[in-house]
Amino acid sequence: MTTQAVASAASGWVECRVGDFHLETTWEVSPGQVLVLFGPSGAGKSTTLRAIAGLLRPVRGHIEVGGQVVYDGDAGTWVPTHDRRLGYLTQQYNLFPHLKVAANIAFGLRDRRSDAGKDRVLELTSLFQLEGLADRYPWELSGGQQQRVALARALASKPAMLLLDEPFASLDAELRRTLRRELRAMLAQSPVPVMLVTHDREEALALGDSVQVINEGRTLVTGVPLDVLGQPGQGRVARLVGVENLFDLTVQERNPRDGTMTCVGPGLRLEVPLDSQVSETGTPGGGQDRVTVGIRASDIILSKEDLQGSSARNRLSGQVISVESRPPGYAVTLDCGQPIRCHITGAALEEMGIQPGQRLWAVFKASSCFLVDENRV
Amino acid sequence: MAALNPVSRIRNQPAGILGGGGAVLYVLFIGLPVLALLVRAAQQSDFLDAVTSDAALTALRLSLITSVISMAVVVLLGTPFAYLLARSDRLWARLMDSLVELPLVLPPVVAGVAMLMAFGRNGLIGSELESIGLTIPFTTTAVVFAQIFVASPFFIRSAKLGFQSVGKDYEDIAQTLGVSPWRTFFRITLPLAAPAMFTGLGLAWARALSEFGATMMFAGNLTGETQTMPLAIMSAMEKSLDGALALSVMLLAGSIMGLVLLGLLTRRRWQGRS
Repeated sequence: MTTQAVASAASGWVECRVGDFHLETTWEVSPGQVLVLFGPSGAGKSTTLRAIAGLLRPVRGHIEVGGQVVYDGDAGTWVPTHDRRLGYLTQQYNLFPHLKVAANIAFGLRDRRSDAGKDRVLELTSLFQLEGLADRYPWELSGGQQQRVALARALASKPAMLLLDEPFASLDAELRRTLRRELRAMLAQSPVPVMLVTHDREEALALGDSVQVINEGRTLVTGVPLDVLGQPGQGRVARLVGVENLFDLTVQERNPRDGTMTCVGPGLRLEVPLDSQVSETGTPGGGQDRVTVGIRASDIILSKEDLQGSSARNRLSGQVISVESRPPGYAVTLDCGQPIRCHITGAALEEMGIQPGQRLWAVFKASSCFLVDENRV
Repeated sequence: MAALNPVSRIRNQPAGILGGGGAVLYVLFIGLPVLALLVRAAQQSDFLDAVTSDAALTALRLSLITSVISMAVVVLLGTPFAYLLARSDRLWARLMDSLVELPLVLPPVVAGVAMLMAFGRNGLIGSELESIGLTIPFTTTAVVFAQIFVASPFFIRSAKLGFQSVGKDYEDIAQTLGVSPWRTFFRITLPLAAPAMFTGLGLAWARALSEFGATMMFAGNLTGETQTMPLAIMSAMEKSLDGALALSVMLLAGSIMGLVLLGLLTRRRWQGRS
């Protein structure tokens, strides 16, 4: 083999059963793309990765890695884990404790004793800034260094696909960002399909090219991270991804000319984007439709004065109920008839001198509000 | 003022007094006989002669050869067995667990009698063995059998715990890196379990070297053939105390050397600070 094959997409579907738990999922990832599996613990994200890795036998399904069928339930194809050419990384770095850093990285290399193998280890140690650590044992490394070694080890033999199971979850925020950058840079250099399990929204947005929300063994939605995680249209998805403000309101008036409608609820009156069923329902100006409206906490501006004469359609006045630290910023909750949560930076908090009990205005555009369909699945 | 002292601790006085007293008694109880053995041996004028006597060297050689053979058998057969016990939670594995512990609680003399009943001339399969030309009782083979019987649990139990401490995750990761299950066993599982296996091996070896009861019953006390160190000490005692003393000191020296070696083999730099 003189030329290296162009990386192929990874795809497949599986049905797995682990005890009472039942998982059905489908995926497709192009080389260099990151598919984020997002969902609560026990949703089936890790199970999916373990099935792809061959560490768990599905009931039925079809799995392709690097252009090769590694599992097919009907055809009886089963390629064992060690022949699947994967990189698999978990939250517990699982560095081999009895091997030094260099030996850990070289572990999967067939030619690890040759010059080519040694060059590959050197290449990876410099790529992941591990110079000078080659002779250390894993217990002599910091958490971030351990995760870098684990990443280097997973990449050493140029896998056809990367499976990352919450790889950065036990690191601090700063390190997580650095490692994400490094992972991105590495992907640009050698594009392989990546599946990443996380329940960190920031991570999903930073790394994902697409995101698949999984709950209780079922895929709820697949799409662009900003759409799916920012303004999720499904009620269950909105709750899973943690939309901070969800209000049950009644449509009072539809304004098709502006593309908005006015919705009211206990103590609240909001301008939100017009729903699509205007023509069907056909009751402009007097609908009794109940809707759920979502607003992301980071889309809300806090102001000491009423921003009259601004373009923002929603200006609500309320008392500060609580101020909580939420690294890197703060979460402020206002009582505007119903509690509204806003995320602001520490600098803003200091500058405005926000204290519980203070009266503030919450300001946001009609287009920052989105409708959540409680019944759609 | 006590409050100014940052390291003032609450002392558990009753535990301190009782524990300290116990420690002193224990040191005396174990240390005194050992010391006495050395002192008496040193007072002996012909100590070196006794140590290098034919009888002593023959017994020493037999003890070393038989224990090395029995340990080789225990390690070769016991390691895969221990791995199986560590990785299986089936009923048969748990029953096996109890069987492995049986020799620990069985008096060695009983073990000797039991082996005689199985492999002896009139034993269960003794005549079958004889018909294919195998005579086990009262031979060097019987010495090895007796040692394996009483000493193997020490190794198997310890190796099993060692294997259990190696997370399945390490084996999974190794396989995702393209290493087959067989290679994974030799490159990951075995090295990680090695410290525990050495601990077990050390204990098993000590037990094999000191084996007396089962050997006496099943192998007898034939000089050069079945008379190991402990049996030689017993025989020497009947003639003179001096011969027994010399042999005892030799065994003691061996035990201490074994302890040191064990300490070296079971501590690895990769294990880090605990």
